[in-house]
Amino acid sequence: MEERRNRIRRLAVALSAVSVCGAAAGCELPPGVRLETERIEISYRTNPATIEVGKPFVVELAACPRKGAGISERVRLDAHMPEHRHGMNYRVKVIPLAYGRYRSEGWLFHMPGRWEFVFDLGAERLTHSVRIE
Amino acid sequence: MRVALAALLLCCSAGAGAQLLEFTDAETRAILRHGPWPAPWSRDPSNRVSGSDAAIELGERLFFDPRLSPSGQVLCATCHVPYRAWQDGRARAFGLADTERNTQSLLDVRYQRWFGWDGAGDSLWAQSVRPILEPREMGGSVAQAAALVRGDAELSCRFEKVFGAPVPAADEVVLAGIGKALAAFQETLLSGRSPFDEFRDALERRDRAAAAGYPLAAQRGLRIFIGRGNCGACHVGPAFSNGEFHDTGVPFFVAGGVDSGRHGGIRKLRANAFNLLGAYNDDRDGASAVKTRQVAEEHRNFGEFKVPSLRNAARTAPYMHNGSLATLADVVRHYSEINPDRLHSDGEAILKPLRLSAGESADLVAFLESLTESASALSPRRPAAPCRR
Repeated sequence: MEERRNRIRRLAVALSAVSVCGAAAGCELPPGVRLETERIEISYRTNPATIEVGKPFVVELAACPRKGAGISERVRLDAHMPEHRHGMNYRVKVIPLAYGRYRSEGWLFHMPGRWEFVFDLGAERLTHSVRIE
Repeated sequence: MRVALAALLLCCSAGAGAQLLEFTDAETRAILRHGPWPAPWSRDPSNRVSGSDAAIELGERLFFDPRLSPSGQVLCATCHVPYRAWQDGRARAFGLADTERNTQSLLDVRYQRWFGWDGAGDSLWAQSVRPILEPREMGGSVAQAAALVRGDAELSCRFEKVFGAPVPAADEVVLAGIGKALAAFQETLLSGRSPFDEFRDALERRDRAAAAGYPLAAQRGLRIFIGRGNCGACHVGPAFSNGEFHDTGVPFFVAGGVDSGRHGGIRKLRANAFNLLGAYNDDRDGASAVKTRQVAEEHRNFGEFKVPSLRNAARTAPYMHNGSLATLADVVRHYSEINPDRLHSDGEAILKPLRLSAGESADLVAFLESLTESASALSPRRPAAPCRR
């Protein structure tokens, strides 16, 4: 059942990729924290909006290619605490929703302090630091 | 001397005999995050009888029923003794035989995400099944537990009322139901409010006079706890625990080997038929199982144990996963003198020796003691009337 759902999801993502080949120029990012490189723009937001220590949350990610670039199918998300030199106790699951749109679950920051989100989209790696109290 | 006296006068502005340290805004915010108490709680979505009065009654009966063990000599309350803050006061638990780990208190267990020192349980109901089947604890079996409920008119009647159907034929389904009723009862075991909670709430409403009623030694200890001690890195929130796992340098050698802690716990979790990815999870949308699906097994988990709540810590000696530290002063000394070289944490740089003075150690103990409930939050239960179909 899960495998069938994944197949359908992959098909939907592939179809939307075909349909938006020329849509990068019109690709609009939803509200959220915006980050960019020369080849890609992303926005992300968490649900709930305020991350609490020890409470699970979801990250919604949107990506738009720039200057004719594409978006890699390989999307990996993670976070770590640079000062503590450790990451999360969970591996995030990334669920593609449509071309350049992802929902990821399994997030939990187990300590207060500075956490760094890592958005790894193929060759593009974007990071963003947040302080959790 | 004059300088010290002036500083004392500056920092203590409340009435005679009562003193209040001048906590900074950052300190005050950190203190407020440890409340309010009791913290909000919602029913466990993986247990459809969580919060049900009928399930709580059945769970309470089962909790005190020695027949869950074929020996007839061990009940849940053997290790989780009500008048000992629902633990046993022993270094390591003893059911039918010795075990390697300290019995944790059940107070406030409803706020936890993982259960047991190694987190091998991902729900309170799954965790409640574990000791029934564990040979050294209650030594029971799936079939024996199911037969007990089927064969006892009172239990079977209550089981039917709780789950809305006759006791099922499948033994494993019955055992899952036993676990869920036991969990419903344990969810009611809540710590009462402590002197710290009164202080915290007084700070929140800016009632300096009331806040100054909190012992000065506890205030100084609290300042160490949230500041230099960095204790709040793991002991977060109203329950004083982040619900996760850390290596704190407590030896994990046991007779004949090592206690691998969280590392083994994750493996046991994945092998458990009662985990949240299995057939007995009542959560239809599956959100409760995300943690179980996504938990990462890392080398650093070896020797990690769960961060316990600190509420009522003064009533739950001895301490640590193996009960190796007898008093709160011993625990404070452990962290004060911790040897980072003994930590098994792949470079995690959180614990460092605090090198506390004798006075500072005493203050930290005074703070921990102030987390003791002033009065129990539990109301005495009346014996329930016999069950009628």
